[in-house]
Amino acid sequence: MNFELINPQSFKELFLVLKKLKHRKYRYAAGCTDILIELKRNPEDDLTLVNLSQINDFKFRGISQTKNSVRLGAGVTANDIVRNLNIKLLYPVLWEAAYNLASTQIRQVATIGGNICTASPSGDITCALVSLDATCVIIGVHGKREIRIRDFFEGPRQTALKKGELLYEIIIPGNKKNTVKLFSSFIKIGTRRSMECSVVSIAYHIQIDGFNKILTSGFAIGAVAPTIRFTAKACDFINRKNINALTERDAESFALKVSEYSDPISDIRATRWYREKVLFNLSKSIIEDIIKCQIEVK
Amino acid sequence: MNTDTKIIGTPVPKHDAGIRVTGKAVYGHDIVLPGMLHGAILRTKYPSATFTIDVSEAKKLPGVACVITADDIDTNNISFKRDHPVIKAGEVNCIRDEIAAVAAETKEIALTALSLIKVKYKKRKGVFDPFEALKPSAPKINKFSIGNFKNKNIAGEFHYEHGNLEKQKKRSKIILTRRFSLPRMTHACMATSNITAAYSQSDGKLLLYSSTQVPFLYQRDMAHALKMNPSDIRIIQPVIGGGFGSKLDMYPFEPICALLSIKTGKPVQILYSREEEFIASPTRQPMIIDLTAGIDSKGNFTFREVNVIKDNGAYTSWGATTPFVIMQAFSSLYKIPACYFHATAVYTNNVFAGSFRGYGNPQATFALERMIDMLADEIGMGKDEIRLINANEQGEITGQGLHYQTCGHRQCLESVIKSSKTKIRTTSNERYKKGIGFASMLHVGGGAKIYRSDGCGSIVKIDPYGFCTIITGANEIGQGSETVLAMIAAEELGIALNKIKVINSDTDIKPWDVGVHASRTSFVAGNSLLGAIKKLKNKLNAKARQLMNEPSADFIYESGYLFSNQTRSKIAIDKVVREMQFTEPNELAIAFYFYEPLSEFQDKEFKGNVSGTYAFASQSIEVEVDTYTGNVRVLNVHVAQDVGKVLNPLLLEGQIHGGVLQGLGYAICEELLMNSGMILNSNFHNYKIPTASDIPEIHFTPIETNDRHGPYGAKGVGEAPLIPTAAAITNAVCNALGIELLELPITPERVLRAINGKQTSRTKKNLTVRNGK
Ligand SMILES: Cc1cc2nc3c(=O)[nH]c(=O)nc-3n(C[C@H](O)[C@H](O)[C@H](O)COP(=O)(O)OP(=O)(O)OC[C@H]3O[C@@H](n4cnc5c(N)ncnc54)[C@H](O)[C@@H]3O)c2cc1C
Repeated sequence: MNFELINPQSFKELFLVLKKLKHRKYRYAAGCTDILIELKRNPEDDLTLVNLSQINDFKFRGISQTKNSVRLGAGVTANDIVRNLNIKLLYPVLWEAAYNLASTQIRQVATIGGNICTASPSGDITCALVSLDATCVIIGVHGKREIRIRDFFEGPRQTALKKGELLYEIIIPGNKKNTVKLFSSFIKIGTRRSMECSVVSIAYHIQIDGFNKILTSGFAIGAVAPTIRFTAKACDFINRKNINALTERDAESFALKVSEYSDPISDIRATRWYREKVLFNLSKSIIEDIIKCQIEVK
Repeated sequence: MNTDTKIIGTPVPKHDAGIRVTGKAVYGHDIVLPGMLHGAILRTKYPSATFTIDVSEAKKLPGVACVITADDIDTNNISFKRDHPVIKAGEVNCIRDEIAAVAAETKEIALTALSLIKVKYKKRKGVFDPFEALKPSAPKINKFSIGNFKNKNIAGEFHYEHGNLEKQKKRSKIILTRRFSLPRMTHACMATSNITAAYSQSDGKLLLYSSTQVPFLYQRDMAHALKMNPSDIRIIQPVIGGGFGSKLDMYPFEPICALLSIKTGKPVQILYSREEEFIASPTRQPMIIDLTAGIDSKGNFTFREVNVIKDNGAYTSWGATTPFVIMQAFSSLYKIPACYFHATAVYTNNVFAGSFRGYGNPQATFALERMIDMLADEIGMGKDEIRLINANEQGEITGQGLHYQTCGHRQCLESVIKSSKTKIRTTSNERYKKGIGFASMLHVGGGAKIYRSDGCGSIVKIDPYGFCTIITGANEIGQGSETVLAMIAAEELGIALNKIKVINSDTDIKPWDVGVHASRTSFVAGNSLLGAIKKLKNKLNAKARQLMNEPSADFIYESGYLFSNQTRSKIAIDKVVREMQFTEPNELAIAFYFYEPLSEFQDKEFKGNVSGTYAFASQSIEVEVDTYTGNVRVLNVHVAQDVGKVLNPLLLEGQIHGGVLQGLGYAICEELLMNSGMILNSNFHNYKIPTASDIPEIHFTPIETNDRHGPYGAKGVGEAPLIPTAAAITNAVCNALGIELLELPITPERVLRAINGKQTSRTKKNLTVRNGK
């Protein structure tokens, strides 16, 4: 594994670098927890790595809250999320995805930009962000643009980024004004409990009002299709329903709707059969858990 | 037996804990010698092929000192059966095969040189299934194999029987037949394989820094490979980062490193990368075990009929002898009136298996303890009850001739049954189901006579300042033998622990020992040290009597003094030593002893009392299974183990925890996956060992049976805690779900398939026979 390393200290410097590298092969590096492994496996000749982790930019590295959204810089690490109590409160799904990623050591350096741009079908933080219907802010030598995260992925390891562009920020829409209760969590299934690449994952964020009505919901599934997918039909199925009216039958119908979005592969971690079966069971379990809560309320 | 000990039985921290946790320990990877070159090995691309090789470009690369292929060396074959060429010539038979090696000024140059070697392969269709290899049409895989077997691909066969099988079958109320399938597990040592060789062209002597577990056998094997005189080879063991049996054999990279040093006249070091470690270090034997077992109407076991097929891989390591231990479990764990056992090690083009903590016993115990649960279900008895009825007893001489002079099997069972009973509660119709499983194990606890000597030599010396040096044949591979030996000396000589040194890593200095395996070190080296101390004390006592003018006194050694048992007057131990050495007749305060356990060689029928004593253990394990995903969570592990006597509770607990966790990995996640001879998961990402978050509560109760042959009554403990764990976990999962799992590891997928009524392909041939009595 051989590469040249450039360490820009600001975006101004970065864009100068990118201009210079216009006709060269380059890749970005942030926490390096994906890219180094990738390059070790498939070394690339004459490669330059542009290191983003020394860029001094408040927005790129920080988490901020506006009235209608939370903005996360692409350089925010998994541990930054874990330490942020606001996120834990507003978006448990995202907090749990970050908290269950790899191990303490990896979380210290792994960034959300890296998690998204690796475009792995099993990216945990990415899966949570898809369920939250986040938006990606892309900057580049030709300016700035925004794209919904669910449209960001074009295939396994393929994103909508063009040469000269990079991911700058992620915007998560705020929860609805009359949301009083959240069912929001990240479920990750693998063989062991840490240092695990998801074999099946589901991120969900369900917002409920004071009358137990589901105001809106987001579901995303990971590791069961070429890209992480937002299961819109399943969301539509439960949106506006009263949780007290949900039945076991609904749980099954819901799970079937989620399953429509999956198209898993068989690999050394699990077979297609297993991924499909578990996805179905887990989807069902989300509604079942809500049903259990309704009994508790009564 | 001396029961009121002062040091023995106390939680003395590991002697080398400080250097290990502060990074000061010098592992093989830390060794740097002047002018040292870096070696690297080219392995085959295909598991079965013929090839031609051209190394001319590699030789031309600046910084390359030496490139060798099979054509450049004159060596004997290595391995247990001498069926393994050091570097392969013209033909490869598994994906580990070494076809060339380089020594260069830097590691990078060495790797670049490897990439310049041109190899032309002609691929062959390999044989990767032992049953395929046994077909007459299969090609002969190892052309160096020797022995008179009915099939060309058999590497070894073991046959054993006792009792009247037919009679016992007739007596049986229930007879079950099951096929069990056990995976390839790898040791995953923290330190990768390493060696540094320094050959002196001036005197023809070879110095090796090597992390072997068996330095004297290794010295002999190395000499045989290199056609040298064993005594011209000196082995120094650096701090070893994990053994677990993986370092019982010598592997090709070791003589290769020596050859590179011999050719260049410079020190050469070879360090494995992690990927290389997964590909080229040995594994536990994968096995298919066909077991038929019976039970009478009262719940007594009647017989076991066993046929084992072991995937040997392309070459034969010590691991091929695991049937010694496997048959012991089948013939002698629980009372068994009749046993028929046959094991066959079969050559394939897979990576070859080696030895691994437990030495075949985890496989055997898995099959037989799973079977016990199924028999209990069939006959409608409790899984605790059936085990208690059949438990081994003190004084029992088993069908195989093992003599249980002490036996804590029943106490172990009673202990774990009692501690787990109160808590378990299985609720049905829930997503999460809980279950409980039991398993026991029997293992050698006083060495194992598998070589001409199972003995160990010790030298003890006290210097004029009252410090003690122990020079022992025993090896430290992290298990804590140095600490226990120092504790024994402190106990017996009344010398403070910080004044005791243990020298144990240099074959030029230390006396013979067969090596660290078979849970033997505390037992054998401990007894050996006790023998030497006794002789030394005789000398010191004589001198003290003279100095104190008490001709008939005996002495108590305490706090650096010898106290007379008659007058209570005392004399400092260092003073006695000075007077011994520096006044006539000038004698050294030194003594040596060679301890050979009372065990015997087994006869041709594999009968005989092979160990100085036997260890027993039972575990009961509680699990929770997620029926939606098949994930198994191990909640509580209760361990009761007959350890003879607790020498050091801290180190003992360490062995128990480590063993249980290794067993947990074997049970639920560890498997080196192979497809057509290629390893699919040569990294920690996909070869899954349990992490800190998977660790259950481990509750340990030592059972002390005070074996009169052991040091202070102790038995071997090292392998035992791993052996029953996978069986108990699987029994617990089957108990929770009412399913039958016959294959390890019980991955979430296998569990979910079983829940959904899908049997996996590897296990078939299952039968139930009910005699209408
Ligand atoms: C042991 C281990 C365990 C792991 N466990 C998990 C896990 O549990 N869950 C999980 O989801 N992942 C896991 N990963 C993968 C990895 O840690 C995460 O995907 C992480 O978020 C990647 O971030 P990074 O900053 O390290 O990315 P890098 O490796 O630095 O970059 C990854 C890719 O993204 C590109 N990139 C990075 N930042 C930007 C940007 N701002 N704009 C454009 N492109 C960019 C890079 O060019 C590269 O292609 C694990 C990795 C390891 C080594």
